[in-house]
Amino acid sequence: MQDSPSATSGLRTHSQSAFNLQSQASTAGGASSGASPLKTSPNPAPMHLKPKTTNVRRMRRIISEDAEWTLAIVPFLTELCIQHIVKNFQNNPILKQLLPEHQKKVLSHLPHDLPLTVTANLIDDENYWHRCCIKRWPVCHVDKHGGSWKRMFFERHLENLLKLFIPGTTDPNVILDLLPLCRNYVRRIQVDQFLPPVRLPTPPQAEEQSDSGSEGEGNEPEKDHYQLESLVAGLKHLEELDLVYGVKDCGMNFEWNLFLFTFRDCHSLAATIKACHTLKVFRLTRSKVDDDKARILIRSLLDHPALEELDLSHNLIGDRGARAAAKLLSHSRLRVLNLANNQVRAPGAQSLAHALAHNTNLVSLNLHLNCIEDEGGQAIAHALETNKCLTRLHLGGNELSEPTATLLSQVLPVNTTLISLNLTCNHIGLDGGKQLLEGMSDNKTILEFDLRLSDVSQESEYLIGQVLHANREATRQRTLSPGYFMSSITNNSTENSVG
Amino acid sequence: MNPAMNPSGNIAVMEQNGDDHLATPIHGPSVHSDNPQERIQARRLRIAARQEARRREALGEYLDGKKESEEEQSRSYKQKEESRLKLTKLLLCGTELVTNIQVATDIREIHRRVEEEEVKRQRLEKLENEVKTSQDKFDEITAKWEEGRQKRIPQELWEMLNTQRVHCAGLIEDKNKLISELQQELKIKDDQYVKDLKKQSDDINLLLERMEEQVKNVMKNFRQELIHIEKAFELERQELLSSNKKKWERALQAHNAKELEYLITRMKKVEDYEKQLNKQRAWDCEEYNTIKIKLERDVQILEQQLQQMKATYQLNQEKLEYNFQVLKKRDEESTVIKSQQKRKLNRLHDVLNNLRTKYAKQIKQFQEENQSLISDFKRLVGQFKELQRAMRHFTIIDAEKFREIWLMNEEEAKALAQRAFDVDCVIHVQHLGLPWKTPDFWFLRNVGPLSMQQRKSATQILEELLLQTEEDGTEEAVSEDESYLDLPKQVSAKTTRRILMLLCDESGFLIESKLLSLLLPLEKSESYLLRLDAIFSALGIESEDDLYKLVNFFLRYRSHHLSSAKESTSIYTERTSLMSALERVSLLSQVDRRSQVSKSEVESIVEQETLQGGDYESLEDRELREKEDLSSPRLIHPNDVLKILEAFVMGLKKPKEIRPVVRVKKDVRDNSRDSEYWESLALVIPVSKQNLWDALYKALEKYYLVLTQRAKLLMENDSLEQQNAEMQSLLQQYLQAKVNAELQIPPTQGFRMPTK
Repeated sequence: MQDSPSATSGLRTHSQSAFNLQSQASTAGGASSGASPLKTSPNPAPMHLKPKTTNVRRMRRIISEDAEWTLAIVPFLTELCIQHIVKNFQNNPILKQLLPEHQKKVLSHLPHDLPLTVTANLIDDENYWHRCCIKRWPVCHVDKHGGSWKRMFFERHLENLLKLFIPGTTDPNVILDLLPLCRNYVRRIQVDQFLPPVRLPTPPQAEEQSDSGSEGEGNEPEKDHYQLESLVAGLKHLEELDLVYGVKDCGMNFEWNLFLFTFRDCHSLAATIKACHTLKVFRLTRSKVDDDKARILIRSLLDHPALEELDLSHNLIGDRGARAAAKLLSHSRLRVLNLANNQVRAPGAQSLAHALAHNTNLVSLNLHLNCIEDEGGQAIAHALETNKCLTRLHLGGNELSEPTATLLSQVLPVNTTLISLNLTCNHIGLDGGKQLLEGMSDNKTILEFDLRLSDVSQESEYLIGQVLHANREATRQRTLSPGYFMSSITNNSTENSVG
Repeated sequence: MNPAMNPSGNIAVMEQNGDDHLATPIHGPSVHSDNPQERIQARRLRIAARQEARRREALGEYLDGKKESEEEQSRSYKQKEESRLKLTKLLLCGTELVTNIQVATDIREIHRRVEEEEVKRQRLEKLENEVKTSQDKFDEITAKWEEGRQKRIPQELWEMLNTQRVHCAGLIEDKNKLISELQQELKIKDDQYVKDLKKQSDDINLLLERMEEQVKNVMKNFRQELIHIEKAFELERQELLSSNKKKWERALQAHNAKELEYLITRMKKVEDYEKQLNKQRAWDCEEYNTIKIKLERDVQILEQQLQQMKATYQLNQEKLEYNFQVLKKRDEESTVIKSQQKRKLNRLHDVLNNLRTKYAKQIKQFQEENQSLISDFKRLVGQFKELQRAMRHFTIIDAEKFREIWLMNEEEAKALAQRAFDVDCVIHVQHLGLPWKTPDFWFLRNVGPLSMQQRKSATQILEELLLQTEEDGTEEAVSEDESYLDLPKQVSAKTTRRILMLLCDESGFLIESKLLSLLLPLEKSESYLLRLDAIFSALGIESEDDLYKLVNFFLRYRSHHLSSAKESTSIYTERTSLMSALERVSLLSQVDRRSQVSKSEVESIVEQETLQGGDYESLEDRELREKEDLSSPRLIHPNDVLKILEAFVMGLKKPKEIRPVVRVKKDVRDNSRDSEYWESLALVIPVSKQNLWDALYKALEKYYLVLTQRAKLLMENDSLEQQNAEMQSLLQQYLQAKVNAELQIPPTQGFRMPTK
């Protein structure tokens, strides 16, 4: 009994134990043989057999002290198999046939750098993709990708490829090869950089062209960016498209050409989004989209079955583009429209207001940093009188002044849907502020009303703040109270009773 | 860029996120849910909420509701509310602080745009002016070139060229100036751009800073508030705990006190019980000792007895042994006898069984026989009945035939007799001139066979009577006379019937009970009939006469009773009178019968009788009339029926003796007087008269001869006279005829005449 474990514990431990044994034997039997320690220390090997045969009883104790020996050192066969599977996963991926707990083990041991062709459609385990993501990008916001690590991985992977794609030099198959792997997982494409085709031989020319950037549209065809058409057509779950036609971190290599959104780009993009019926959100910002391009894009979006949000902020859209957008409002189910920081003026705003007056889908309208002025502002205020849907309106920085304010103050008691209104950076003036205060005092629904830097007296601003506070409390009460669901339907009566 | 902005003045800006997690709506059941259960739940909640609100309102009317409610709400709730407000405010201010930068940038951008526009406009203006001036200058220069061409003088040309050069230089300088200005502007713009960039980076830094600060602040505040809330909760919990603990302790103390009390009482009880136990033990000990002594004594006595008993036992044993032996012997014997008896019993059982089987067989056999005999008997009875019927039929037919033949013969005989009488009469009257008297013989008056009327039995009459009365209930009067013509005394059928009914009803005791039960299902009349039959048989009434006697007796009794009631005589006398009446009636009936047997013979007696009976008749008639007047056998009280019957039976005893003789004769027809009858018929004309007739015949024959001769002579005379008359008439004719005249004329003329 005592011998067998010592035999199995292997040679390494054996020698060690033998060593211990010798030392202990020397200490224990020191009195009996005084000369033995002297002999053993220089030459342990010959002494090996001697104490073992003599002190069988002591040997037991010594073996039991061996702390490293356990049965666990011998791995299970399943363990070995799993290791093998993990090692050869690239060549022979076996996963679905395994038991769940084994699958888990395999997944936890898989290296994150396996080729996507193997893993993409085989592995659904979030933990694996989590590891992959963490390894690849230091900052990961999985919430932005619907809480799915796999989706995040593929979206960001695709995003990276698109960002670094150089038309003409990069093989388009790099992206198209990925398509069958990621088509089931990608729901959003968010690209804030499209590289232009490189022209190596004439770097000085580029400098020249940079001077004539404003005029140089003649050689535009060569400056087309990557065409998304084929990619988008392959992604069957695509819902969001967030594009910026520009170059990031160009530094001292700045050229106006780098920021061109060509007509061919525009046409292809229009066709792409028209073909994509699952698309819900389309953003094209900071891309120098002017009226014509905007019209092309918007025309392709007319009667789109799924589109809900359109963001064309930070572009060069003028009245014509705004008119097109107004047409889109009445020919789609658009819920959010963002035209911030464009060049929309009064006529554009008027056409938008006209569309808004009878629209029943739009929830949010952003005309921040345009120049619609009082005419446009008044038109929109009029539209608010009949509109029963819009909840958020941003008119900041639009050169609005007192007339708009007076009209708004008349509309505010009537409208019961608007929740948020932004009038910052306008010239509303003291009187306008007072009128707005009057209008607000009869309104029970607006919860946010921003009047900063619009020449309104602090007093009226404070009082409006009080009204908003009261409204907020009232809505909170309403949501807390059990009769909320009923009151939400029969708006006015309950509001009065609660207020 | 505007950090001095008053945060409290800008509450208008609202942080959506901050509000979101603070005021999450309660997702209770919805009224518009698809699930009906949920809808019901929602409605209930709504109703509850409304009621609650109403209640609160009611409270608030007379109390300071707000204060109340505030006090009501717990500390934690207050703390929560406070924290919420504070945090929302913090969030609002913070976001405002952060967004202020954006707003500031916005307005700067707007300002910049405005300025830019202005500058652009100025620049354009300037450029246009410049273009204009330079164009003018250029035009001037070009005009000068024309001028210069005409110049021939080199000096002038040179001068002009110089001036031209100067002009051009001026123009170029202007342009250069402009360019430099623009470049200057561009540079300034570049600088501006760099500045703006810097500023924006500063702004962004500031923004980041503020955001960070905000995040930190918010975190801190949230943590703080959380701690506050937790503290509040903790405190509340502590309070609750302490109060509960106190309560608990109090309860525990009370419990302990009670426990102690129980313990003490229990101890006391234990002590008590112990004392009692000790006492009991001592007492038990003493008792035990006494009992022990007593028992020991008893044991001694018993041992003595035991010895004695043993002795007796020895004795008894011996005795019993002997007895046992004897009994054994007896037992053996008895077993032997038993076995014998058993065998015998078995044998007897066998015999019994055999007999039983035989018996059963015999029973069967006899039953079969009986069956066959019964069927035979039935058949025979049927045959017998048939025969009887046939016989009756034949008797009737015979009687009829006999009667017919009799009648025929009688008629013939009577016709002959009549002829003889006629002849006799003619002879007497015409030839002898004697007055003739028709002889009156009894047999001439007789019609039909010589026999007395058939005596009917009482039951037959009854039947007739009942049937008749039933049939002609309405036309009683007619039937009365007709049907009772043969009755000796004209007692109406109705009364008879009534009397009989009465009798039937009252003397049910005479009928056997078996019969009564049999009568039940029958018809009323039939049942009456049968009953009466039974009653009559019991009373001994057999014949028609008896029946009439009975009826008459009743009637008489009635009259007697009436009279006696008037005269108030005793029943005894009444009975005796009745007896006498009865005797008289029976006598009368006998006489009557006799008169019917031979009327001719006893004519005188009849006359006597009629004289005699006239009294009776008159009496009876009177009675009858009386009775009819009183009109009711109903007046015979049902109670009297028995008395009457009693009297009747006593009276009837005597004639009963004669009856059977009469009865035997009844059916036999005596033909002794037939020959006599026919003989007498034959001898209607006596022998003396025949002799007379013979003599008369002879004389008449002679007279006839004379007469015939005389007739012949007369006839001859007549014929002669007739011839004479004829001759005379012929003569007359010849005399008066013209022929005579003509004959006077010459015969020639006459010859002519026949030719014409």
